[in-house]
Amino acid sequence: MLTLFCLLLSGTAGAAAYFFPVVVAGVGQTGQTVVVPPSRSQGTASTPMPSAAPGAPFTVLLLGSDDDGKNKSPLTQSMILVRVDPASKHVTMLSIPRDLWVPLSTGGSAKIDAAYAYGGAAAAIATVERNFHVHIDEYAWVGLKGLIKLIDRLGGVDVLVSNPVLDDEYPNDINGGFLYGYMRIAALPGFQHLDGTHALQYVRSRHNDINGDFGRSARQQQVLLAIKAKASTLNAADLPDIVETLKGNFTTSMGLDRVRSLLGVATAFDLANVKQIVLFVPTYTSYDRGAAYGGQSVVVPHWSQILAVTRANFP
Amino acid sequence: MILRRIAAILFVPVMLAFGSGVYLYLGTLKSKVVQERPQLPTVTKPKFVLPGTMFVVQEGRLFKLEAGSFTEIGPGGEWSQPTLTPDHTKLVAVLRTGFSSDLYLMDLGGHVLKRLTKNDSRYIDYNHWAFYPRISPDGASVMYSFDSPKVNGVDLAVWSMPLNGAQWQARRWTDPYSHTGGDVSPIPLASGGLLFVRHSIDSSTVVHSQIYFQSRALGVATPLTPEADDCSQATLSPDGTQVAMVCTHGKQSASLEIASFNGSALGAPQVLVDGGLYASPAWSPDGKALAYFGPQGLAGHFQLWWLPLPVAATPSPSIAAAPSTSASARAASTVAPTPAPVQVTEGVDLSATSPPAWF
Repeated sequence: MLTLFCLLLSGTAGAAAYFFPVVVAGVGQTGQTVVVPPSRSQGTASTPMPSAAPGAPFTVLLLGSDDDGKNKSPLTQSMILVRVDPASKHVTMLSIPRDLWVPLSTGGSAKIDAAYAYGGAAAAIATVERNFHVHIDEYAWVGLKGLIKLIDRLGGVDVLVSNPVLDDEYPNDINGGFLYGYMRIAALPGFQHLDGTHALQYVRSRHNDINGDFGRSARQQQVLLAIKAKASTLNAADLPDIVETLKGNFTTSMGLDRVRSLLGVATAFDLANVKQIVLFVPTYTSYDRGAAYGGQSVVVPHWSQILAVTRANFP
Repeated sequence: MILRRIAAILFVPVMLAFGSGVYLYLGTLKSKVVQERPQLPTVTKPKFVLPGTMFVVQEGRLFKLEAGSFTEIGPGGEWSQPTLTPDHTKLVAVLRTGFSSDLYLMDLGGHVLKRLTKNDSRYIDYNHWAFYPRISPDGASVMYSFDSPKVNGVDLAVWSMPLNGAQWQARRWTDPYSHTGGDVSPIPLASGGLLFVRHSIDSSTVVHSQIYFQSRALGVATPLTPEADDCSQATLSPDGTQVAMVCTHGKQSASLEIASFNGSALGAPQVLVDGGLYASPAWSPDGKALAYFGPQGLAGHFQLWWLPLPVAATPSPSIAAAPSTSASARAASTVAPTPAPVQVTEGVDLSATSPPAWF
């Protein structure tokens, strides 16, 4: 009996050592507490971010941003609202244009990508919630280098590049050096296997896309789905490697239970169950610039159309 | 008592070994897809011996597949998109360096004979891309996609230059739709015309790819496939009477299709295989089969596949003269009873944007 107990103990110790990085990350990177701040612009009360009941549909705000040291507080390069229904395995994704001109939860109006810079995840969540009239249960933030490492750790992703993505002003800021330098990139069309660096180039480029940031939003959703497809091949034994890969490049409010729930949806991956929404011009938004926007080029929301979409897809 | 202590002391290493065993065992349970790292083609053995000689690319390295084994050719660098001269004695391939790419003429052993273009510059904006070289049937000129002029952003147009001439003699053939990436995959025809793939955008801001025909430089380009079909990566059969292509129909998966070709128009397409991530089809030297790239498993690296064409599925060359751009023509497309594709390579990571050059 004692022998069995000792073996069980040593086996548990071995397993604990294996999953130790996951536990550390579970403490350090998941389950981040976020308190949505009061809105100076709208005067609503401070509300903690409640969570949906286990097994119930929940909404996650995915945030992607520079972590390159350009700004003390980085702007978000990507903001995607995702609704996950674990029961039906349905996923809805809505990309929010980074240049969308909105009232920020921290006060004043600006491009929505500034919300994270001014107030971190809490301000980004509050800004999206109040403008889009949605409830956000969780958030997840990943840095650019984190995305590269994650895709490389997954062994790359298979993506359909729908048209040549050429950019003569792509930021050359990932590998150090002059952070404001730029480079040329060319992603050729067709199905292909992309490593992390090339996948990032594909989702980050926007200067030559006829759809500008909207085209980039569509590409971001596409790579997200490719990551999800690849994640469906993972199992619990892969978690320590994934956690190690994302160290310092990923934070989320989700606890391990919800992460497991997401992995469950990924395992039952079916493209037919994924709905993708991009707020294209002219239906949902329009371009503008001028003194009213601080002289910046911005995307002006058509709220009646946008809110109809969010009501229907993010109840 | 002493025996018990000795037993306890001896049991400690057993516990350590068991704990370590559990740790190591868990490591073996990792997803094989994630663990999988591609091998160089030269250390693999194809499952199937293809007829003739084929050139493919992996991670910027050129490989020759002949008699069931791979040989690496060419100097170091980031090579891609090899294409053969009509007499099958030379290759033209793309070499990426920094922020530009150039075309090089080489022999079949990969020795560079001539640099055809010079697109690099110390000033970043003056760099250019050259991709998709394809040599005319008479062997006199090479057509390729080139990002000039850079007026409305960076878009590829089809250009042509003499194979034995200089880049200043190159002339532009197509006028691309701006900000969509432009025109790619030129196929010079024996008639002097051109097949190519154009990327355009519709009123709902969706970008499409279509196969176009153009009879002369800067002439009117005629679409041969409907916008909604999103067909690309066309390749002409050795006898010039059929076109193989990849069509995505607006989805994230594709069908591999063939259609008859009369020199300026396509017949009704026949779907050979559907629902996969197919890329860069190439005709076998006898025109009776296709090779293409597709991933191994759900989301793996791209492997080489072989697809024999059933005799019944080969389209008749007698087709209508009018381009088949109407929806009705597509409605006539059929799913041919094609034999199952055969996976040729395993464990490699072939470049899916570099069509095989095969003779």
